[in-house]
Amino acid sequence: MTRLSPSAVLGVLLTGALLCAALLGAVWTPYDPLGLNFTLKLAGPGAAHWLGTDEFGRDVLSRLLTGAATSFWISFLTVCLAVSAGTVIGIVTGYFRGWVDRVVMMFNDALLAFPGILLALGLLAIFGANKYGIVLALGLAYTPTVVRIVRGAVMSLREREFIEASRVMGNSNAYTMLRHILPNCIAPLTVLATSMFGWVLLAESALSFLGLGVPPPAPTWGNMLASGRPFISQAVWLAIFPGLCISLTLLGINLLGDALRDKLDPRMRH
Amino acid sequence: MLKFAISRIIAAIPTLFIVSVSVFFLIRLIPGDPASLMLGDLADAASLADLRSRLGLDQSIPVQFTIWLGNILSGDFGRSITSQQEVLPLILGRLRVSAEIVLIAVLLASVIAVPAGMIAAWRQNSLTDVALVSIATVLLSIPAFWMGLLLLLLFVLKLGWLPLVGYVSISQDFMQGLLYIILPVATLLLHEIGVIMRMARASTLEVMQLDYITHARAKGLSEAAVMWRHAFKNAFGPTWTLIGIVLGNLLGGIAVIETVFAIPGLGRLLVEAIFARDYPVIQGCLLMIATIYVLVNLVVDLLYPVFDPKVNAQ
Amino acid sequence: MKRIVLSAMMLGLLSPQAMAQTITASIAQDVRSTNPGVNRDDTTDGVVLHMVEGLVGYREDGSVGPLLAQSVDMSADGLTYTFKLRTGITFHNGETFSAENVLWNWTRYMDPATEWRCLAEFDGRNGLKVESVTAPDAQTIVMTINQPSAVFLDALARTDCGMAGILHYASVNEDGTWNQPIGTGPYKFGTWKRGEYFELEAFSDYVTPAGSAPDGYVGAKKPLAEKVRFYVISDPETIKAGLLSGTVDLAAVASTDVPEFAANPDFNVADSVDASKHTLSLQVADPLLSKVEMRQAIAAALDLPTLVTQVTNGSGRPNNSAIFPQSMYYSDVQKQAFAHDLDKARELLAKAGYKGEPITIIANKRPTTPSFETAVVAQAMLQAAGINATIEVMEWGTQLSRYFSGNYQMMAFSYSSRFDPALSFEQFSGPKDTTSGKVWNNPEALKLIDEGKAVSDPARRQAIFDELHTLLLHDVPMIIYSNGVNDIVSNKRLEGAVSWQSKLRLWEVAKQ
Repeated sequence: MTRLSPSAVLGVLLTGALLCAALLGAVWTPYDPLGLNFTLKLAGPGAAHWLGTDEFGRDVLSRLLTGAATSFWISFLTVCLAVSAGTVIGIVTGYFRGWVDRVVMMFNDALLAFPGILLALGLLAIFGANKYGIVLALGLAYTPTVVRIVRGAVMSLREREFIEASRVMGNSNAYTMLRHILPNCIAPLTVLATSMFGWVLLAESALSFLGLGVPPPAPTWGNMLASGRPFISQAVWLAIFPGLCISLTLLGINLLGDALRDKLDPRMRH
Repeated sequence: MLKFAISRIIAAIPTLFIVSVSVFFLIRLIPGDPASLMLGDLADAASLADLRSRLGLDQSIPVQFTIWLGNILSGDFGRSITSQQEVLPLILGRLRVSAEIVLIAVLLASVIAVPAGMIAAWRQNSLTDVALVSIATVLLSIPAFWMGLLLLLLFVLKLGWLPLVGYVSISQDFMQGLLYIILPVATLLLHEIGVIMRMARASTLEVMQLDYITHARAKGLSEAAVMWRHAFKNAFGPTWTLIGIVLGNLLGGIAVIETVFAIPGLGRLLVEAIFARDYPVIQGCLLMIATIYVLVNLVVDLLYPVFDPKVNAQ
Repeated sequence: MKRIVLSAMMLGLLSPQAMAQTITASIAQDVRSTNPGVNRDDTTDGVVLHMVEGLVGYREDGSVGPLLAQSVDMSADGLTYTFKLRTGITFHNGETFSAENVLWNWTRYMDPATEWRCLAEFDGRNGLKVESVTAPDAQTIVMTINQPSAVFLDALARTDCGMAGILHYASVNEDGTWNQPIGTGPYKFGTWKRGEYFELEAFSDYVTPAGSAPDGYVGAKKPLAEKVRFYVISDPETIKAGLLSGTVDLAAVASTDVPEFAANPDFNVADSVDASKHTLSLQVADPLLSKVEMRQAIAAALDLPTLVTQVTNGSGRPNNSAIFPQSMYYSDVQKQAFAHDLDKARELLAKAGYKGEPITIIANKRPTTPSFETAVVAQAMLQAAGINATIEVMEWGTQLSRYFSGNYQMMAFSYSSRFDPALSFEQFSGPKDTTSGKVWNNPEALKLIDEGKAVSDPARRQAIFDELHTLLLHDVPMIIYSNGVNDIVSNKRLEGAVSWQSKLRLWEVAKQ
């Protein structure tokens, strides 16, 4: 349609770089990301280890590459879970209103008021402290926010003329929701989903800091960032590199999200 | 207005009930037992059984729940398992500390981030916009436990300007209180600026696509007048909602900052209670946080028409 | 310029003259309560034992010496203990200490309503029963027990029992509930701002026990500072910043920070070794680990000296015995260690019929123990020997409940201090069917431990403990690899030994 803006190009490039790193990390890393080396603890960046080594002598670059895959996968699944569950609930409740809406929103508000840490601890204890435990815990924690935002959008949409028209034309509720309401929710959803991607990367880091989180031997950017903290004066690269990765990824995904919204929002297609 | 407020408060009661029930059962699903955590690995069967019966943990969970609920309704939140303090005064004291930090930080963050987000939207795709968006993203991507540590190393250790630990309420001694509160507030502020700025930018962009802005511009109004009279008033609505959500969430999520700055706030209390499986404290904290969440959102909704004249509270 | 003015303003605000004689320390969690031996943890004991004292206390070598008592005598049949009390001792409120106070305290501790955690050690539920306590005169206490016991005095001295600390009546309210400690210790209760700090004040009328220097909890105990303040700071990085900025005079730091402080001329670093045990506990009831060859293979696969160096950053010493190295019972036999031998490990694995089944090591990330680090290093060493080890990290409370239920294969787990060897062995030994939380259930060992608890003759006890250690090395119910080390950093302004057994001990410590 139109050429991409410079920020959209930057977004595509950064996100592409993340995907490439994740793919590369899944098949090849310079060293074993879990291989200990007691003679090379906390070595600075150099020729053999480009980004240095950590407190167990593990290669930081290899861990970042492996971590890219794990972090991306966790964030991606969490966002998918929260957005799909939240959208379905949000559209249905916002469209039909009535007592279903009231009951669902009661549970939704209760869940929103629940501190994430407690939810995470509870669910991790129940589902086991693994990748998918985290995905379920964070996904469940973020769903109510999606529900709120989608429901808000649907409630203002359902009063609009074209929805009324669709109903008058005898279309089923399901058809109207799928064909007319859903596409109009895409814009706020892209902004939300891309922000959420970042929340997940960081939530996982905060969980690690407070002593919860993914089983740490499997590197993720979040737990690398948290576990590098005690070494701030001796080995600052332990935190700088995962921190940079998270920042650049967030920037890329946010820019991409804005660009997508501009493309997808029906009102902006002039 | 009053009727609306009352009906909203009544509607919140089931929500609070759901929160209490689910907290009660969730924390008992989490493995770990307050009695054995209190006694540690030293526990022998006899003293463990003693403590469990003293804490009432030897009764069935539904019985424990009925007892707890009955006590709550008569205003008795029970006593902390670890410190033996009464839960309600304990929570209220800690809440005051956290609320001071959160309110100041969110207020300042809104004052800075809303105009910044609007300027970014107004100059969309310009250098200013890209710079502001990048700053917001970088701020968003630094976890609070890192930001706090960096500020602490700079202002306490390198420059020696601020004290390291301690807390004085600013309502007791303004100057002293300010000294202790600057760093935690700044840490929180820097993160929230990122969140609010993005939202303000997005909703301003949305509004600016609408026809009446084009009309206003066509009428020959100055750009400043367009932004202030039309864009701001309409774009602030969603941002205001978000500020409400942020405010409610922060009370539960401030634990990290309170840990870094050794501040006796509600967040740290909750995290420590979770680790110690201090059931009465966890239940009390959750009920308090949920109540505040409901109240904050009520206030936000009541004030919504002030910012967005199109919306009627009812 | 502006900076100087600002700093001067802060100094004026923050360090009034009175602060100069205050020793500031940091503790990771708040004190739980000031009620000795009732609601406590290690940190709490460390603070409370500055204020209260018992009849007897531990010496540096783990034996028990008189504290409020002048002397302790045991009758020939081992059933009667006579405590002669020291004279001229007053409580913090000025009242005189005498035998009558001891009787009142004993009645209070033995009352279930007091909720003393060590009640079961003295009322017969764990075997030992105090039959009578009498005071023939104001300076004498006589206690009789139901059976000869080598650990009776040890139990009285235990820090987690609050040393059965002697309190004045005014420490409790009229209805018997706890108020605040009025003891006989070198420091008295000052202020307590919960979640922020706990402050002690010097007790000016303190009469120190004999001795030129502190010896564990006995020996010289003079309060040399006006005040001692314990700040509650849980983030290790904040603690470090506190030390560097001078806000905190002393604190335990992470072992990774030791080199930095050791190189800094403003600080002293003391490795405070304690009697706690860092272990890899094995579940002998697990189908795979029930084969002794399998457990021996695991022990042979681990290079324990290297493991200890790695997980404690060089400050820990390997020790495979349940007895701590400073103990009078730490004989040459106790120094025998598990041998690292990869070929033997593979041979044993073949004998056990091991076919690569996964073995999960459970660990936690508490900063106070090297649990997680141990799991990471052990996993690598086991994998090198062909054992398929994996790690599961969980939050401490969850791990503890798994420990108690016995639902685990391997666990990086630490045990708190036990000074008496018999109690140290008993801490992890017992029949699985009644106590699922015990690790070692070999009947032969359990019999030896019971005997070790009963006999008082040191030579016979030594023989029993040596036999137990040999049995442990063969049985491998757990791999004890080291004792706890706390790296305590103190500002050079402080003079004196600032800690013992990883607890801060701030009497006989002065601040310049």
